[in-house]
Amino acid sequence: MQQSSEHSAYWKWIPASFALAGIIVFIFATFGPPASSSGFVSTLKGFFQVVAPGYAASKTHYQIIPGPGSWLFAFVVGMAIGGFVAGRTFPVPTRDVPRIWEQRFGSSRRRRYAATFAGGFLILFGARLAGGCTLGLFISGSTQLAISGLYFGVLIFAFAMITARLVYGPVRKETIE
Amino acid sequence: MTKILLGLFSGIAFGFVIQRIGATNAGKMARAHLMIEPDIPRFMLAAVALSAAGLLGLTAAGVGKTMVLPTSIVATGLAAVIFGIGWGLAGYCPGTTWAAAGEGRMDAVFALLGGFAGAAVFAQLHEILIPLLYDPTNMGQLTLADWTKSQGAAVATLAVVFSVCIYFIGKLWHRQPGNG
Repeated sequence: MQQSSEHSAYWKWIPASFALAGIIVFIFATFGPPASSSGFVSTLKGFFQVVAPGYAASKTHYQIIPGPGSWLFAFVVGMAIGGFVAGRTFPVPTRDVPRIWEQRFGSSRRRRYAATFAGGFLILFGARLAGGCTLGLFISGSTQLAISGLYFGVLIFAFAMITARLVYGPVRKETIE
Repeated sequence: MTKILLGLFSGIAFGFVIQRIGATNAGKMARAHLMIEPDIPRFMLAAVALSAAGLLGLTAAGVGKTMVLPTSIVATGLAAVIFGIGWGLAGYCPGTTWAAAGEGRMDAVFALLGGFAGAAVFAQLHEILIPLLYDPTNMGQLTLADWTKSQGAAVATLAVVFSVCIYFIGKLWHRQPGNG
């Protein structure tokens, strides 16, 4: 298919991992452990400080995370900008409903968006309970040799793999192609 | 202001690289979870092992800041199960939702909105859930270096274990690239 030429637009994993590690080490040197789920809390804190200042001030979770104006908030905004720039300079068009999802559930946007809303809810609820996400706990933690990061990492990979099997069913030939 | 600019710059670079490996593409992420495409997990593990070596250098030079999160057997474990289910279902994790939304993927915008809802609900329940789930089995800020007695030996152990994982991911995943 035409996929092979488009696929080569993606970076190879070894140089890409050196690039990411360089960025992570830069972040440790200039800030501290990188994190992205905290950026959600930071954004919400900014929101509640405007619409319900008393509520924002009264909740522990908003007291322990800095609001907009922090590195954590700037980082997630930067991530969106980085994604935007990368997408504009990439030959493979984006899809609102991934092909593999469409093959399984059809092209309904509403169904896909409901699923990603639910998934988004779960990953942030879980990340805030653990104190970090794939980046803030698994990557940052494991880089610092933290048992919490390794323990979290093993379980998130295992349960994501099991869930993907249940969501997408047995891997069929057409999924692989 | 410097903090903001550093955060923005770091985020832009991070978002760009994770888009280029395909991590903002939920279809590719699903194919990684289904053991079809090996590159995203290999990339993640290699980046961590390299970062750990880099951080060892920073620590030796006395540069930078670290903060190890505690391990709570119940809370960290339960949180990881909830997180894993969400990651497998949507194909997004908190960081990739921002970059994928910026890339213009509408399903990521909904993951972002769901994320705000999940974070807001957790923040509301923090005072109940942390004493209930986190604190009783909080084992403290454990690291591999507690066992190996030296940070260098711990980084070497991590690098060996992750290299073995990377090797087996390369063998066991089907090695079929695609665009998701």
